[in-house]
Amino acid sequence: MSNRTWMTRSLAGGTALILGMTLAGCSGGGGGASNRPENELRLAVYGDAGNTVEQAMVDKFNETSDVKIVLDTIPGADYQTKLQTIIDTDSAPDIFFNWGGGSIANFVDAGLLLPLDEFIEEDPQLKDAFLPSVFETAVIDDKAYGVPMRGTQPVMLFNNSEVLKKAGIDAPPATWDELLDAVEKLKAAGVTPIALGGGDRWPTQMWFQYVFDRVAGEDLFQAALDGDTSVWDSEESREALGKLRELIDAGAFGTNFDSVKFTDGGSPALLASGRAGFELMGSWEYATQQDSDPAFAEEVLGYSEFPAIEGGEGDPHNLAGNTNNFYSVHKETRYPEEAAEFLKLMYSDEFVQEQVAIGNLPTTTNTEKFLDKAADPEYAKYQFDLVQKAPHFQLSWDQAYPPEATVTIHTAVSQFFSGDIDEDGFIKAMQGL
Amino acid sequence: MTMLATGKRPAPGGSTVSRPARSGASSVGRPGFAWALPATIFFALFALVPLAAVAVLSFTSWSGLGDPRFVGLENWETLIADPVMLKSLWLSLLFIVLGVVTQTPLSILLGVWAAGNQRNRAVLSAIYFVPLLLSSAAISVLWRALLDPNFGIPGQLSWLFGDGNLLGTQSGAIGVLIFVGMWQFTPFHTLIYQGAARGIPHVLYQAAEIDGAGRVRQFFSITLPQLRNTAITSIILMVVGGLTTFETVLILTNGGPGTDTTITAFYMYQEAFQSFDFGVGSAIALVLVVVATAISLVVVKVSGYDKMNSSLEGL
Repeated sequence: MSNRTWMTRSLAGGTALILGMTLAGCSGGGGGASNRPENELRLAVYGDAGNTVEQAMVDKFNETSDVKIVLDTIPGADYQTKLQTIIDTDSAPDIFFNWGGGSIANFVDAGLLLPLDEFIEEDPQLKDAFLPSVFETAVIDDKAYGVPMRGTQPVMLFNNSEVLKKAGIDAPPATWDELLDAVEKLKAAGVTPIALGGGDRWPTQMWFQYVFDRVAGEDLFQAALDGDTSVWDSEESREALGKLRELIDAGAFGTNFDSVKFTDGGSPALLASGRAGFELMGSWEYATQQDSDPAFAEEVLGYSEFPAIEGGEGDPHNLAGNTNNFYSVHKETRYPEEAAEFLKLMYSDEFVQEQVAIGNLPTTTNTEKFLDKAADPEYAKYQFDLVQKAPHFQLSWDQAYPPEATVTIHTAVSQFFSGDIDEDGFIKAMQGL
Repeated sequence: MTMLATGKRPAPGGSTVSRPARSGASSVGRPGFAWALPATIFFALFALVPLAAVAVLSFTSWSGLGDPRFVGLENWETLIADPVMLKSLWLSLLFIVLGVVTQTPLSILLGVWAAGNQRNRAVLSAIYFVPLLLSSAAISVLWRALLDPNFGIPGQLSWLFGDGNLLGTQSGAIGVLIFVGMWQFTPFHTLIYQGAARGIPHVLYQAAEIDGAGRVRQFFSITLPQLRNTAITSIILMVVGGLTTFETVLILTNGGPGTDTTITAFYMYQEAFQSFDFGVGSAIALVLVVVATAISLVVVKVSGYDKMNSSLEGL
């Protein structure tokens, strides 16, 4: 008996793995539109506080439509896993939330998504109502596969203005040299110059995205993404890595950043408590700070664009981050016309207004007139302006590549920062993608 | 489930069954195959069938989209050449050894202490068993917050922890995982040892006292030898627990820094559910099954667990 009990336990790992697969694999392949429920469209979204607006849109649509939309909210951390598991089965959603780019590339390759070009031909607003730099993220092989929803989340260099003032820094750094200078002044003032949640790994990646873009321009990463891995070994790539090494060696991030996380509040607390001067983070930093201390977010928290790098090829106004979230439509949907009708709500005044009210920043051309109603109009306008004038908006590396590349990228960036691998090691890791 | 292993099996040919039939007893008889049917069906359905499916999947390439595609030995070749795979096996082994080495002495001491009848013992034991009631995920989140280098314990005790970069170095991260594992599982093993220590006949101690043995001598000459079978049970549970450790790694270190705490079970999850490479994930799962079975066989052989002689023989 003890042996069998033991066996059962030892198999637990394998069993858990398989259970997921048997469930997922049974109906692999999908059986076409006729297997889908009648008069029903399933809508899958990332589960979080923003779901109230999505529910309101669904309710509005259902008032006038015979085909009813059912909203399924999937808890955030598991979203991509769950989606990948059900997308090729009969229980796949008809319309689903995604990040564009790599998050849907595999689905496009597998022929699971409906190109939206016909819808756009019938109603050009489905494309023209959105900022072009954002809309492009969900265009794959010249076909549009997603309509923007929710908001844009550019990465900015946030600062604690009181700490900067005390250290004798008058304005946020506009150039790389000014950043290095600020790092020295902050070190002299006895604080960690830059807070970094290295334990999460993706905050580390944000530094690579910007430095590579500033030094080499957006083409290097795009070439790598398109399969030309030799660019990682180019002169520009090495120069970008050199800049990063320079910053790390200057002690800009302190020594214990790998033990700090953004997600458990560690790095934002460093900034808020005045123990760090800067933090490079997505636009949600503001909401995070506001949650714990509204006065700090409003009065002390500063923000600026990522500094320009002298002699670099990238436009200093280029952005990186989450360009937007998108809705894509499954090819097997029974009701494509109704799905198109629903997508049109995404540029409606009502949708934009409600998104702005909960702190999101939609990227429609009509967003601007509602910015006064935002939680912090000044912050909303600053961001919108950045996105609007950005020549290029680079989707985060881990979203631009398909999900299977994420672990490799995250491991490489964090090992480079901790000094476990050098330039050659990083180049080799990225070339292995 | 962990409790099952400590359950007592009916003594073979024991007194209750072989006693001459009283009224109705003969119609019960010895348990037949039918008695094992429910357990067998469940075991087949939830362990053997999935195991076979994993074996098949390990020869395919499958991302969850479309149908699995047979690729022959490709996944296995990848794994054999994969430095992370080998490293993960060494790390798993290290975690098991360190887990056993730290938890066993502590559990024995605490368990023997808790088996006594000192003042306040019940209250202190009850408090000490609290970690047993918490889920691994909750424990990991708790320690993650407590170990924040700036705002947690290391931030307050910088003379001890330096810059507090516990999770940023390999030795620090392993130390944290071993410590949290010890904090979490020692109460459970203490409970096993407490029960076993209470079962040791008092006559042994009384005889030892008459012979003039002190408490330390009694502990080493009576208590420890009497706990031998319990220790084997407990160690096997630790080994199995160590091999399947997952949540603590996921939440506390995420396999990092780099791949320095990527143990095999976590690597399996990473390949299958983060990289969506179910083929390689399945191959790792099979390796885990083989390694676990091998370790189990060795422990059973070396310890004589299969014979399971009573420690009370001759009493």
